[in-house]
Amino acid sequence: MAGLTLRARVVVTGLGPVSSIGIGVTAFRAALREGRSGISPIESFDAEGFPYRDAGEVKDFRPETYLTRLSPAAWGRSAQLAAAAARLAAADAGLPDDACADAGVVIGTTSGESQVVESLVAQQVAGGFAAMDPGTLRQFPAERLAAGVATELGLAGEVLTLATACSASNYAVGYAFDCVARGDADLMFAGGADSVCRWAQAGFHRLGALTESACRPFDKGRAGIITGEGGAVLLLENADHARARGARVYAEVLGYGVNCDARHMVAPDEDSIAACMRLAHQDADVKPDEIDYICAHGTGTPANDLVEARAVRQVFGERIPPVSSIKSMLGHTMGAASGFGAIATTLAIADGFLPPTINWTTQDDELPWIDPVPNVARPATVRIAQNDGFAFGGNNAITVFGAAR
Amino acid sequence: MSLVLTETPLAITSCGVVSPAGLGLEALERALRHGLETPAEPKESPDGYPPRPLWAIPDLGVAELLGRKGLRHVDRLTKLGLVACKLALEGAGEELDADARAHTGVVLATNTGSLTSMVEVGIDTLVQKKPYLVNPGNFPNVVTNACTGQIAIRNSLRAVNSVVSSGQAASLAAIRFARTAIEQGRASRLLVGGVEELSPAAAWGWHLSGALTEDAPIGEGCALFLVEDAEAVRSSGRTALAELLACEVAYQGLGTAREQGEGLRHCVERALERSGVSPGEVDAVCLSATNHWVRDQLEEWAVGEELGRPVPQVQVGEVLGELYSASGAMQVAALLARWREPARQPRIGLVTSMGEDGNVGCLVVREWR
Repeated sequence: MAGLTLRARVVVTGLGPVSSIGIGVTAFRAALREGRSGISPIESFDAEGFPYRDAGEVKDFRPETYLTRLSPAAWGRSAQLAAAAARLAAADAGLPDDACADAGVVIGTTSGESQVVESLVAQQVAGGFAAMDPGTLRQFPAERLAAGVATELGLAGEVLTLATACSASNYAVGYAFDCVARGDADLMFAGGADSVCRWAQAGFHRLGALTESACRPFDKGRAGIITGEGGAVLLLENADHARARGARVYAEVLGYGVNCDARHMVAPDEDSIAACMRLAHQDADVKPDEIDYICAHGTGTPANDLVEARAVRQVFGERIPPVSSIKSMLGHTMGAASGFGAIATTLAIADGFLPPTINWTTQDDELPWIDPVPNVARPATVRIAQNDGFAFGGNNAITVFGAAR
Repeated sequence: MSLVLTETPLAITSCGVVSPAGLGLEALERALRHGLETPAEPKESPDGYPPRPLWAIPDLGVAELLGRKGLRHVDRLTKLGLVACKLALEGAGEELDADARAHTGVVLATNTGSLTSMVEVGIDTLVQKKPYLVNPGNFPNVVTNACTGQIAIRNSLRAVNSVVSSGQAASLAAIRFARTAIEQGRASRLLVGGVEELSPAAAWGWHLSGALTEDAPIGEGCALFLVEDAEAVRSSGRTALAELLACEVAYQGLGTAREQGEGLRHCVERALERSGVSPGEVDAVCLSATNHWVRDQLEEWAVGEELGRPVPQVQVGEVLGELYSASGAMQVAALLARWREPARQPRIGLVTSMGEDGNVGCLVVREWR
């Protein structure tokens, strides 16, 4: 419990976004500021026969540009995205290659190496299980996401993949925060990765959760998600360690909250989400009226955004800070989603702006208290901000960041 | 580092085990002493199984254990988790009230959740008239946290709920996660453990990967432990089965086989040191990679080097088959099973892990007194 144990301060010193709106922190920041859309027609699989054929694919991703140790041929796409994101975060933090040896990594994911699994499934359909290719099989375990990062950066610390679906990056950031705060490590890479795949496109369509082309969170006409992909990794560092090496500090991780609805596999729960926000605030030792910005889970489904907006009202009362969803730009990047949220929140604090909710046209009368920062980024002083992540299974995780002190 | 660490031991107050030996610790103890009587065959599958020993869990009688309601869309892996959870919660002595359940969470090691569900949905996208005509009831099973979600829903467990996918060492990673979560107040109690199911996809995957020794059997199972802060248990005058002392992990992916062995050796050394246990006090070791080429010898070498003397082994992989992410949890269960026979002194066991991915780890377990 916060206050019962002595916790070291934890800061963010490196950012590594590999996204459909930009790769690397400079491109990603610029895209957030201009409200760029990363949604385009699907190319990673044959989308013939799917009613909706757009997704947030990272089409510019050339793994060999970023990876120095991993051979892309031997690793699945999700591991490549995670490793490239971590490589960018390490470079952004100014960490020399040999300074990472004691560091650990936590990568969150929804579907792990989904494209690898789909290759195996195709081999199985064509020739039975015996026809599966051993080289492809070696790439399939979900543990390979974190292992890919560790191999790329030469890490020898704690290396784990957390598969807690669409809040997985916040789980990863939270656990990494605990590891640094309790003194297990000075440096932890944390974030998430997922790849666009057929089964997600099919499954979300069947659940009625997909929209055709523009994802419009908090808009009256919102109709669902667009599937997306990417790798999002932050470097969390012990504050004293960062100071001693003269590192630039983007923001401080103040704390986080996690809980589980324990009611329904896919339907979100207002009271439980509100409880998670309170847990996060308590852990970070902040009051709701100190929070300047909420980087929403904001999937763009009618149910999620309504429930999230109501939970915000329940916790924040009369004074509700701006609430925007970067999923309007990226689509739903699944296990990477709250990692991108964490990066956007960190940049909002460090650079003084609110990322917009694009594609927004019409106020929803059911949630008039939400200011979604419509369409255009806004200059703002952001001292403390929260980053929401919710998931199938009722897994809620919310991280809280504050300005560097 | 600015903080001086003292490990926070976790007490195992109850456990639920489902293994090829059957339900519970007593069945496991029998198998550890005498081997499986007749290993159960997996249910026949049109896809067929590879030609190697396959040790399934004998008929679970799921309907009797879990009731019939709401299980239509629940896959086998999740059922294994639900049964182990039921055994663990029922074995806890007094029932957890609503408030206790609200502060109880789930941390489960598994590779990808149910591979069967994933493959089924994947096949549907290829063979159905339209690629999106997957079974909507099956789709939520595809997410790896389907099992922990169902455990939470059916038992109203509302604290941290997490899935750890770290391969062979995943159960030890889950135990570390659990310790940190309880110490940091993210939960008061946790169900922590590991689960894997035997399926054609998993069996063929192992068979073709070439990682396992020739006749190594593939098993399945789930071991879940109800854990909480050991001091809290002691100070309230309650009893427990065992204490989980230090659990040390490291990544050795880039290293040679020898370096991986050295990495594990260091983990054993650190885990003993941070537990305040000397090598001479260790009564039993339980290894993980006993079905794996090369790693079986490396693991035995690393533990032997650190302990400096032969220590009796509790064999799990040989007795129950390959359990992958669930191995570490089943190794802990195996120590508990062997400790059902009373001893004068509280016994101390080591559980080690060594994975293909480069993760290694060591956990120190002490019988409760």
